[in-house]
Amino acid sequence: MNLKVLYGTMKKELMIKYRAYPAHFFVGNTLTGLYTVLGAWMMWKFLFEGNMAQDFSEITGTGDYISYVVVGSLTYLFVVRTCLNVSRSLITELREGTLESLMLAPFKRAEYFLGSMLVQTLTTSAEIIVSLIIAIPFGIDLSRADMGAFLIAFIVSLYAFFGVSMVLGSIMLYTRDTYISQNTLFAFLFLVCGISFPVQYLPEWLRVIAEVIPVTEAVNLIRVTLLSGSGISEQMQSVQYILLLSTAYVVVGFMQMKRCEEIALEKING
Amino acid sequence: MIIAEHLKKTYIVKQGKGLFREKQEIQAVRDISLQIEKGKIVGLLGINGAGKTTTIKMLTTLLSPTEGSYFLDDIDGVKYPVEIKKRINMIAGGERMIYWRLTAYENLWYYGQIYNVSNNVLKERIDTLLKLVGLENKKDVPVETFSKGMKQRLQIARGLINDPQYLFLDEPTIGLDAVVSKELRSHIKHLAKEQNKGILITSHYMGEIEELCDYIYIMNDGVLIKKGTVKELTTETFNRKNYVLRLDKHSKEITECICDKLKVVDATVEVKDENDAIYINSRENISMELSRACMEAGLYIREMYEKEPHLEDAIIRLSREVHHEAVY
Repeated sequence: MNLKVLYGTMKKELMIKYRAYPAHFFVGNTLTGLYTVLGAWMMWKFLFEGNMAQDFSEITGTGDYISYVVVGSLTYLFVVRTCLNVSRSLITELREGTLESLMLAPFKRAEYFLGSMLVQTLTTSAEIIVSLIIAIPFGIDLSRADMGAFLIAFIVSLYAFFGVSMVLGSIMLYTRDTYISQNTLFAFLFLVCGISFPVQYLPEWLRVIAEVIPVTEAVNLIRVTLLSGSGISEQMQSVQYILLLSTAYVVVGFMQMKRCEEIALEKING
Repeated sequence: MIIAEHLKKTYIVKQGKGLFREKQEIQAVRDISLQIEKGKIVGLLGINGAGKTTTIKMLTTLLSPTEGSYFLDDIDGVKYPVEIKKRINMIAGGERMIYWRLTAYENLWYYGQIYNVSNNVLKERIDTLLKLVGLENKKDVPVETFSKGMKQRLQIARGLINDPQYLFLDEPTIGLDAVVSKELRSHIKHLAKEQNKGILITSHYMGEIEELCDYIYIMNDGVLIKKGTVKELTTETFNRKNYVLRLDKHSKEITECICDKLKVVDATVEVKDENDAIYINSRENISMELSRACMEAGLYIREMYEKEPHLEDAIIRLSREVHHEAVY
């Protein structure tokens, strides 16, 4: 495995990103982080007046809503960015007229998508770090974070986000739509995956749906490692569940993507 | 050698509007068999949405055929498309297939990576290709600032980045100026004759096809209707001969006199008098009779030749025949 496709795709994506979206794009994305933190803080301060329902602490194991919602929102930001980049990669190639030349090559799909994902992971990580620094004055408490466990949780979560991206990407390529499909999915993920409130508050049937989306468990895993200082050994069940579920998404995503590539190529001149 | 036999491609398309659209089968290619030898340039021409693009997409493995077999140097293209991809490339007309935000060099570098070209070879190959298409001085300029012709030239370099054994050219000179088109044609010949690459080309410029192709396939409505060399196709399509005759004198009586003499040999002969020349159309080779008729009438021949039909005329004729068959 010489990873030429992965390296090449990363370099190409970075160059295109740099030329298409100069520095103010990074500033804009960082501001999204600020607004996320600010929104959570204002909700907590002015809507809840600093008080949380007692069952919130019982369910989440913390009464610190600011830390809960900031970590959830920034993880959600990661989901959105990753899905945007990976899912849109082939439809962007289609729109820019490079899909055929790409598909003519005997390139490895997994390396291509991973390359897209890694570029987004790098840029989004930089944005998230800035957002976390911004969140400190608002009261985010990461003093109990287990960084080793967090790192593993982060990598496992990336795999989960990759799986979701592949499924979304095939839908986008099939429908040739980016806006309706992505925005519907993102709104749905925000509402049911425990981003700003625990899934236990949802009706039973929605909780069942939330459980089969790997993002839900990934957000939980990142939260417990950052906020409760839980070690990875205590979270092995959660890790296994995410890996298993995400693998199903990756397999289905790749199979669908292959079929949707053919349909897209048929439609180009068909 | 590429051997494709009885390739078919059927699309399922949804007709109508709304949620419950009806599915309909469209047969883009109904039956095509062709061969491309290494070192040869093969033309693929079509009449009225013939299925050329779908055929090229099947041969380049972008689409899987619904039926039929396809072998490239004994590799089964239907079963092992990745092995085929390693050995081929395609250049299409227009400004697509390259990244506009990357420079010429970066484009070729990226395609080199996805074709797994070794880095030692890649740098030298990029330099050679950029020189070949005359973009060596623009290699670090983003493609979005390029003219249409420059983008097209870069696409040609992209199509050669993996040093393919077989090359598919879909309207490669569309939008190019005369000088660049001529250079490209010369390079296509060089690739086939000097580098022994098998080439399939489609083009709307019949002069280009005549100049380049060793063999031609003509498609209509998803099937092959004719095949052969330019000479074979024109001769087969035009089974009558055309002569142009210019004499020292010119009159309606002379034309009628020649016509009468020729009718003895071929009763179907047609003689027309236009622009100081006499045009003769006959199913026989009547050059001798024509000379004799002129001598007997005491006429001095200033010019006489058999007019070779062009491929374009053959295509027009075929197109009319196809249309006529469709209507009646």
